[in-house]
Amino acid sequence: MSSRDATIIGYLSVLTAAISLQAVAVRRRGRLPSLGQVLSHVMQSRTGRVGVIVAWAWIGLHFFAR
Amino acid sequence: MAKSVPVNLSAEGSFCVVTDVGEAAQNPPVAQASTGSPSLGRAAAAGLRQPIVAILLLIALFTAVSGKPLDGFLMLAVATLLIFDAARSRRQVSLTGSRNGASVAASADNRRRGPRRLLVRAAWLAAAALYCVVVGSFRRYSWPATASVVALGCLMIAIGWQGPLARRHRSGEPLRRAWLWAVVLVSGGLLELGSLLQQPHLTTDSYAHPTISALTDSVLASFPGRSAVLGGWLLTGWYLVSR
Repeated sequence: MSSRDATIIGYLSVLTAAISLQAVAVRRRGRLPSLGQVLSHVMQSRTGRVGVIVAWAWIGLHFFAR
Repeated sequence: MAKSVPVNLSAEGSFCVVTDVGEAAQNPPVAQASTGSPSLGRAAAAGLRQPIVAILLLIALFTAVSGKPLDGFLMLAVATLLIFDAARSRRQVSLTGSRNGASVAASADNRRRGPRRLLVRAAWLAAAALYCVVVGSFRRYSWPATASVVALGCLMIAIGWQGPLARRHRSGEPLRRAWLWAVVLVSGGLLELGSLLQQPHLTTDSYAHPTISALTDSVLASFPGRSAVLGGWLLTGWYLVSR
């Protein structure tokens, strides 16, 4: 297995872990917070809200802006 | 500027409004009032200690170093604004002696009813689709694409700064096992950082250690790919400012 394959498998593992966490959170309410609940919690304060939205804006800038 | 957020304070779901003073006022207001108004420098230092501000500053540094000065500048600008906002809020809390003293009305619940609401939603969807098609037609990293994305990003940050678009029930209780999400996000970040540092140069992609950006290059090279990704980005942004 090449380094490239290992790197891609790493990304896919992280993605799979996130999807699994969300699935568990939705199926068994109360045992785990969903991503939406975590975001809502973080975004209760202005700093958290702006921080999360800035992270979102950064993704757009990173992929499209010079 | 004091800002109100709706907060659910009880298990029964009762609803009240508290003044959001950011993360600045970490100490009890009464204690602050008794010690007098903090200096501007001390208040600003409190803003600087907030984790999100520190993260934004780190992102600004790494982004600027990796050849994206505009991204870095925007992150730095928002971090600076947050520090000033936190400092101002902290001084305000100290002067009023109470978080609730300057409480103002809750964020506007602008959910519209009936056909008008549907019409407004349809107009927003059409505008979003038009944005995706027009901006997706621009070449990546061109000035038109840069201006369009920067303008929308700044607009959403300004909307988010005002508070949630819709009134929502908030739970003040800490989330159990939220650290699992932190582990996943940090793992992804570290993997990306590892790949970035193993590139021959920060601005030159590595085939053996591709970053997420490098892996998505093929998708974003085409007009439909760019438009689809822009659509997902827009929907996510709308979801976030609505929360």
